Amino acid sequence: MAGELTLQIDGNEVKTEPGKTIIQAAMDAGLYIPYLCYYPGMKPFGACRMCVVEVENARGTPASCTTPVAEGMVVWTKTDKIQDARKGIMELVVSEHPHGCLTCHRIELCGPQDICLRHVGVTDRCVSCPKNERCELKDTTQYIGMELTTPLTYKYRNLPIQNKDPFFDLDLNLCIVCGRCVRACEELRVDSAITFTERSGVSLIGPSHGSSLLESGCEFCGSCIDVCPVGALVEREYKWEKATDRVSTTCSLCPVGCQLKLEVNKRGKVIRAIPELDAEANHGQACFKGKFGFDFVNRKERLKTPLIRHGDLLEEATWEEAIAYIVHNLNNYVGDQFASIGSYRGTNEENYLLQKFTRAVMKTNNVDHSTNLKPEMTRTLREALGYNGATNPIWDLENSSCILAVSTNVTEEHNVVSVPIKRAAKNGSKLIVIDSREVELTRYATQWLRPKPGTDAVVVGGILRVIVDEVMEDQEFINSNCNDTQELKKSLWQYDLVKVGIITGVTEEEIRKAARSFALSDTASIVYALDTIPSTHSEELVKAITNLSLLTGNLGKPNSGIYPLRPGTNDQGSWDVGCVPDYLPGYRSVGDQSVSDVATLWGVDLPTSQGLGIVDIFGAVEKEQIKAMLIVGDSLSYYNGSVGDVKEVIKKLDFLVVQDTFLSALSESADVILPSVTFAEKEGTYTNLERRVQPLTKVLETQNTQAMPDWWILAQIGYAMEGQGFEYHCPAEILDEIASLVEEYSGISYGRLVSGVSKLPIVIGASPLPSQLLPASAGQNNGLQWPCKAKDDLGTPILYTSGFKNRQALFMALSSPEAPVMTDTDYPFVFLPGRILHDPRRELTVEVSGQRNSVKREELLEINPSDAASLGIADGDWLEITSRNKTIKAKASLTDIVFTGTASATFLFADLATSLDSSEEPEPMSKVPTLDASAVKISKIKA
Amino acid sequence: MLSFAELLNLSNRKYQELESGDIPWIRVGTAVCGDAAGADDVLESLRSELDKRGISANISPVGCIGLCYAEPLVDILKPGQSRIFFKNVAPDQVAQLVESYLVNNEPPQDMALAYSGNTPVNGIPSLDSLPMWKHQVRVAMRNCGEIDPTDIYQYIARGGYSALNKAIFGMEPGDVVKEVQDSGLRGRGGAAFSTGTKWSFLVGSPGPVKYILCNCEEGDPGAYNDKGILESDPHTLVEGTILAGYATGASNGVVFIRHGHEGPITRTQKAIDDCYELGLLGDNILGSSFSFHMEVSLTGDSYVAGEETALMESIEGKRAMPRFRPPFPAQSGVWGLPTNINNIKTLSYVPEIISKGGEWFSSIGIERSKGTAILCLSGNITRPGMIEVPMGITLKEILEDIAGGSPDGHSLKFLQTGGPLGGVLSADQIDIPLDFEAMAQAGAILGSGGIIAADDRACAVDMTRLLIAFCQYESCGKCFPCRLGMTNIIEILERICNFESRPGDMELMRNIGQNMAGTSLCGHGQLGWNPVQSALRFFPEEFAEHMEEKKCRTGQCLGPIITPQRTRSRWTSAQPLELRI
Repeated sequence: MAGELTLQIDGNEVKTEPGKTIIQAAMDAGLYIPYLCYYPGMKPFGACRMCVVEVENARGTPASCTTPVAEGMVVWTKTDKIQDARKGIMELVVSEHPHGCLTCHRIELCGPQDICLRHVGVTDRCVSCPKNERCELKDTTQYIGMELTTPLTYKYRNLPIQNKDPFFDLDLNLCIVCGRCVRACEELRVDSAITFTERSGVSLIGPSHGSSLLESGCEFCGSCIDVCPVGALVEREYKWEKATDRVSTTCSLCPVGCQLKLEVNKRGKVIRAIPELDAEANHGQACFKGKFGFDFVNRKERLKTPLIRHGDLLEEATWEEAIAYIVHNLNNYVGDQFASIGSYRGTNEENYLLQKFTRAVMKTNNVDHSTNLKPEMTRTLREALGYNGATNPIWDLENSSCILAVSTNVTEEHNVVSVPIKRAAKNGSKLIVIDSREVELTRYATQWLRPKPGTDAVVVGGILRVIVDEVMEDQEFINSNCNDTQELKKSLWQYDLVKVGIITGVTEEEIRKAARSFALSDTASIVYALDTIPSTHSEELVKAITNLSLLTGNLGKPNSGIYPLRPGTNDQGSWDVGCVPDYLPGYRSVGDQSVSDVATLWGVDLPTSQGLGIVDIFGAVEKEQIKAMLIVGDSLSYYNGSVGDVKEVIKKLDFLVVQDTFLSALSESADVILPSVTFAEKEGTYTNLERRVQPLTKVLETQNTQAMPDWWILAQIGYAMEGQGFEYHCPAEILDEIASLVEEYSGISYGRLVSGVSKLPIVIGASPLPSQLLPASAGQNNGLQWPCKAKDDLGTPILYTSGFKNRQALFMALSSPEAPVMTDTDYPFVFLPGRILHDPRRELTVEVSGQRNSVKREELLEINPSDAASLGIADGDWLEITSRNKTIKAKASLTDIVFTGTASATFLFADLATSLDSSEEPEPMSKVPTLDASAVKISKIKA
Repeated sequence: MLSFAELLNLSNRKYQELESGDIPWIRVGTAVCGDAAGADDVLESLRSELDKRGISANISPVGCIGLCYAEPLVDILKPGQSRIFFKNVAPDQVAQLVESYLVNNEPPQDMALAYSGNTPVNGIPSLDSLPMWKHQVRVAMRNCGEIDPTDIYQYIARGGYSALNKAIFGMEPGDVVKEVQDSGLRGRGGAAFSTGTKWSFLVGSPGPVKYILCNCEEGDPGAYNDKGILESDPHTLVEGTILAGYATGASNGVVFIRHGHEGPITRTQKAIDDCYELGLLGDNILGSSFSFHMEVSLTGDSYVAGEETALMESIEGKRAMPRFRPPFPAQSGVWGLPTNINNIKTLSYVPEIISKGGEWFSSIGIERSKGTAILCLSGNITRPGMIEVPMGITLKEILEDIAGGSPDGHSLKFLQTGGPLGGVLSADQIDIPLDFEAMAQAGAILGSGGIIAADDRACAVDMTRLLIAFCQYESCGKCFPCRLGMTNIIEILERICNFESRPGDMELMRNIGQNMAGTSLCGHGQLGWNPVQSALRFFPEEFAEHMEEKKCRTGQCLGPIITPQRTRSRWTSAQPLELRI
């Protein structure tokens, strides 16, 4: 405890800690001081002067947001002098801010979403402001008791509303230049995409130097919108909608598990998503997906009833009919000719039920979740360390002195994880990026090692070799926690740095520098995905990474962890509950003794043959070994080529059941389609990438559709097929069953998880309106990080703090360094996509189309001059780049930076951002193109 | 590397050659005042004229000696004779000057301003007898106009870097701080805080890397003394900064100059480069264990960048907006490291204080204000220029004796001192002595040392509008009271000047002003009400005239109007801003 001190605020005794400011102390004690530029969680700025207070024995009227507390301080926040000063400032503010809504004489009578147009000028009307009724200016004016008129000359700025951004509108007429957005962008997100423009009386905000947001490095996270106190920055969609309800839930779009407050309007539509300020998983941050990608919930195209195929036609059916039809057909396929695939965003309960159904009823281990394309990602971690999962909380990264990011495009795939990484880099931590692609993180990197495609593991091997050569291991840690290093060291003799340099194209000097940075830092973390690594070499990379953390003693302590970044929302949970072919719930291997617990609980005999995973299932379908399937949800991974042409293959199935929210490419071949509800309409739990089990809350009632939650559907089918133990009433019961089987979950129950979640009513008419106090007092839900083994266990944020699970962590010998073959004669080049916003070489144009705009940019393909010469390509020629499943056109740019045999392009982020909505695909997230390396051929075309 | 004794020897030899060599030494003032008057052309014609006639001479472009009204100023020191100053030399007069003085040894009386030296020259007054010169005591300006600012040897020959040598090898850092404390030196940037005390704050902050910042942002209209010193004698600043670094244990010095001022920038940079070359800067200065590094940093075009915390933001490459305090710079300044910010003039005194002792310095000036003041005189006066006078001299002496009073029989109406935020002083107050406290009592500030005089032709209301227009234009736009308050005040003043004022305008303006003074984040907003307040105090009747009788006694208000570029009037009057997203 850093000590405690006591001060007096308006006669109240307030206890607080040294280092806090007066406004923080007051807010903690529930005392209100008006503010406009201050925002909880950001550094004080001291611009609006609205929070001025009087401090006894101090000069003048200090701002409470910048004045540190002191023992015995006596503060007065609402004296006449202070209120007069505030009124004076507010009069100045409203001399440029439309304020009919603030000073209207009907304000006391005005009810929620009332519209009366007669009392004020056109540009001033309350209805012309999108933030009407949730504007912080209004709270403040009411609190300080503004006069109905202002003596100053009012001037409307009359600036055009800027609406060319993909997602949000900027109305500078409403801007009060508090700088919150500028600071959020710089301080919270480390992007600095917006800044103050001009100065003095014409000071406003915007991209610097009059450039566009796209050019300035915006990642469209919406952080600026969340902090804007007025209507200057707002989401374009549902801009004018008023919320009648706000409910916290877990975002379903990626495995970060951001806690979002979803706002719902009176017609039951989700209109806005606001990240929870206090949530441990996201610390008040969200990303373009969480912030703007929830509209699919509201789509009209959603499936309304079950559908049964009759020839070419899908016909509507009742639930009873559909389930009877399924039971009738599936009964013919019990055994290994059946397979099921769970959704990447299925809840723990749903994926548990799916595997229970598959194993207990269909008697096969052919069950997997759709994003489990690289099971090697964590299998080795479990083998070497004990648990299958990230070792530390996401936000530990912020305090890590060195971060190694390997083959991951974290800014897009797991956006919020990039925030602590970028903040750490800004604060002086070393950031080493190993990636063949130019990902956004390279802009912040202290070192970017760019290996030849697929050779990342060899680079890490080289780093290990340097650590051993220069005796930089943490010997003490190794001695007390690990097995012998002999085998590893022996294998490292093959990693001669010259040889490594030849294989990877990364110089010895760079590898040495990276090794020293990592090994000599107090705390060091590794984040990795396997985006550019062929599956043959994935395991090698994970071994090398695990060895690196062990060798340097960076496990089992704060701020030093390993973070496998899996693609699917609930991949972690799916593994935990056994929705994978090789493990039953609780990581019981198929065929292992421990399986008997499960068999006893379920009261059945379990299949013993090894199951097939997602990659092999479709091969088996092709060979007609699997004849019937149940697929829950649609998923992007069917399109990325790693499992072949799924759409064609599934035509060979005799019987296919699909559970989905929308019609999709799969539904063309489906025999039965069952409508399921979205994440916003159901309960359940997700386990995020830091092992945090968090609840989904029912935000909406399901409307105009018979769609049901997937768990309900699965339970119905299981029950109808006479499976035992499928009589569930709610997901909480299923979670209890999981807890009884999975040791790590044994202390977790739905009741514990939701106890912190609050449903916030919107209070209207209370003065001051509570919106400014909301961020601090919002319902807090931080979930529980497994292992959580008892009802009073608060979870385990950091794994291995008291030794490893199997008492010893294992070093794993590496195989000899080699570069994978990623090309063939048909597709002789490796294509490396990157995604960088700012590129001065290219012209950008914005095309307005519907509610969201798209951005066009001339694409450049960088190739090595020697490759260009052999293909007869000159700088500026138009090229066609063809891979097995896509074709793009781009202009050639010859440069030595890329290795021979590779071609590199940086696509514009906005292509992705805008395609969220412009696509006809009703399920927007599936359109996100990934940045995996792929084999291509290049040919010259006419422009 | 040469030892200091060897360096001094070498310098003396070189300087000897100039001062008592066989050929004339011609010095031409090429500071900004000289340049504006055409010194470049004079220098060029002088060179070609001497070439043509085959006369050899040493020509040194020097800085500003302070007699700005007499620029271009050419002074010639012929071997064995007194040095003669020729005033307002036009390029076409150069030939005549060379002909009559250098060839015929008959100094042209009409061009001569004064002589200096032991031998009187017929018909020409001595420099010391000039009214502009005789009151002066030159400490920080001792080398201004005397030496070539780009020649480090000339500076050393005139005693330069002896103080540094003395301090490093003969004094403990604490002694240096004590000497400065004893001298009674107070900051010359405006706040007049004791320099020794300020230094001792930095001494108390731990850390191997600490910064001394030298502030030459100097944006006040009518102030050019910081730039004048850097243009005329940059080494005195460099030496003062190194001494400050030695005294406080700082490791780095940054001279902060507004971009575009080529003279001060290039000459300071040259001085720093020369010091590195001679081992006076860098690691192990003069072979000692003391190391200190210096660089020049440029600011954007912003007045507020001179505010100390905004200056630190600017050095860090950010927008120049003031930070809030605490933390104070001595704990957490530039890059979060302990920092001391000193004005150029303050640091320029330090070498002389160390050489001659704090006691000597405190013998100049008066009780509370020790030493000299470096002032810039401009406006409606006969002799504008840059002067250094002992503290305690009255404003009347300065204006009437030194500056020669108002020209053309007009009478003094008011003074504007210490920059636009300083406000005005009326003509009947000029009996007060030049003293920080006395000035403050009279409702003005000494500030950075600019004094602008206005005679009876000036309109007090128009002047106020002009000052506020400046303050409004230069507001950084961060804190609400200043950004919005200035805009509203300038609008009201515009109305008054245009005889369109509305009832209640005065009250309104006063409310805004007091609010600004009470709640603004930095001095710019806190003092922004000063100009109006002091004008209202001394010239209420002129405001009343404008507001009630709708007339101006001087007619100035009707003259060309400076339209502020950064008020909200732009938004509706001009094309909508084309901002792309």
